[in-house]
Amino acid sequence: MAMAALRREGRRFLLSSASSTPITARSAISSEESCLFGARSISTQIVRNRMKSVRNIQKITKAMKMVAASKLRGVQTKTENSRGLWQPFVALLGDGLSVDVKKNVVITVSSDKGLCGGINSTSVKVSKALTRVYSGPEKENKYVILGEKGKAQLVRDSKNSIELSISELQKNPLNYTQVAVLADDILKNVEFDALRIVFNKFHSVVSFPPTVSTVLSPEVVEKESEAGGRLGDLDLYEIEGGETKSEVLQNLTEFQFSCVLFNAVLENGCSELGARMSAMDSSSKNAGEMLDRLTLTYNRTRQASITTELIEIISGASALEG
Amino acid sequence: MASTAAVPFWRAAGMTYITYSNICASLVRGCLKEPYKSEAASREKVHFTVSKWANGKPEKPTIRSDSPDQ
Repeated sequence: MAMAALRREGRRFLLSSASSTPITARSAISSEESCLFGARSISTQIVRNRMKSVRNIQKITKAMKMVAASKLRGVQTKTENSRGLWQPFVALLGDGLSVDVKKNVVITVSSDKGLCGGINSTSVKVSKALTRVYSGPEKENKYVILGEKGKAQLVRDSKNSIELSISELQKNPLNYTQVAVLADDILKNVEFDALRIVFNKFHSVVSFPPTVSTVLSPEVVEKESEAGGRLGDLDLYEIEGGETKSEVLQNLTEFQFSCVLFNAVLENGCSELGARMSAMDSSSKNAGEMLDRLTLTYNRTRQASITTELIEIISGASALEG
Repeated sequence: MASTAAVPFWRAAGMTYITYSNICASLVRGCLKEPYKSEAASREKVHFTVSKWANGKPEKPTIRSDSPDQ
């Protein structure tokens, strides 16, 4: 009984000496010092807190993954259906990627939210490369940016060539009416000879290569069709009604633009969800690994302190006996 | 064709083919019966913000939305 009281006294003395160290050096050094002095248990509070926060993060990332996965299913069918909108246009007008014109407008499609892997930086990178390809004397390259994340990246080095930026597009589920109004706004506010739409095309949950779709202005289409080539076949089609070819072409390119943009926005939204899904999957896996490591450290430390205490008790008892 | 004759008029009004076709589409959707009508109307929601850029600075964004309370 007296021994126990003595021990308690001793511990109190040790603790008070540890806490009397200067406050500035408290955090790590004092705990180390108290270990050196022979304090019986190492504080596991820090590790426990860390484990708690990692577990919370893991919960969040898991939930985000679930949300992305459930959203993806709906958007994917929509996206696949929307491909039928632009395919006839490509069959009719071709893609025109190689057509060289003076006023290029690059439309970078990106997402509003982050945490979706590298899809935004890929589309920004491709847009920059595209402007470099089409740059030259007497040429003009402008950006129209869809989404916050692309804007944040392009502002850094090419803010002077940004013409329009659009965001909050994905507040409601994407629909054609919305994209059509947007396409109308772009057509009215931007002068262009060719619109190059850069987006991430959805192939599968893990693969979304950056893609460029080109929409030429009616004048350029007319010029190209006169020059022959792919667009020269346009004259093979019979045009109904009393409209001239340029009128038809203007209507056609406008409609093509809205359709291609609709598909691009959907594809990019779909890729975003896919990318978010895989990113969140790997981050929850990482959090799990981290948690395992922390648990191991925590248990080991706890076990060590228990062992120390046991040894102390046993040796104290044997000292009394002896 | 009736639409052919209309072309110069909506062009003169500053409309693009997209606006024109959208108006036509919403007219067609208006012919639907309930419950399909409200279902189709829910697919017509427009909401986004546009900001023009001048001299490397964004101007005040304008919100294009058909539900002004948001």
